[in-house]
Amino acid sequence: MNNRIRELRAKEDISQLELARIVGVRRETVVFLEKGKYNPSLRLAHDVAHHFGLPIEQVFLFDDEPAMPNG
Amino acid sequence: MKRTVIGFVISALILVALAVWALKGHLSGNIGEIAMAGIVLVLVGFALFVGVSRLRSHRRHEPAEDEMSRQYMTRASSLAFYISIYLWLFVMYVSDKTTLPSHTLIGGGIVAMAMVFFLCWLGVRLFGMKHE
Repeated sequence: MNNRIRELRAKEDISQLELARIVGVRRETVVFLEKGKYNPSLRLAHDVAHHFGLPIEQVFLFDDEPAMPNG
Repeated sequence: MKRTVIGFVISALILVALAVWALKGHLSGNIGEIAMAGIVLVLVGFALFVGVSRLRSHRRHEPAEDEMSRQYMTRASSLAFYISIYLWLFVMYVSDKTTLPSHTLIGGGIVAMAMVFFLCWLGVRLFGMKHE
């Protein structure tokens, strides 16, 4: 599973630590998420997507599915 | 925070015990004893690393634990348990073949279990956990 967290974070110009505080996890978790080393729980995926104002499927993408339009 | 302080106190006690043991002349250059002391130092280093990382999180106003750290701990624990079963089978096999006293075998087995847990934790952190 891939995700667009790094890209969306850069767009909003917020640090990993700020995003971690917003969604209530450790900075390390955001680092691992961005590297694709950890798949989040549904709750965390929802919180991250909610923060960026996007549906989950536009933030977290499965390898075998094309990227959603309007992302 | 309380758990972190307790971890630091236990680590300090282990280091003091190791230092007393070495100063009393028990660390006589025997490879087995040096290896055991080295393993204990690695395990104390692991405990200190976890403690320092918790303190850092506390200073950053992050939670000391979150879903990822809990899942990593659970995964490392289950892997270590699985491997430890075979480790104790090996210890039982060795106990029949050697004349080592049982307290040495049991002590060695417990230290080996701790080492297995440390290696599993390291592996889970290095390779990640994707559920795929």
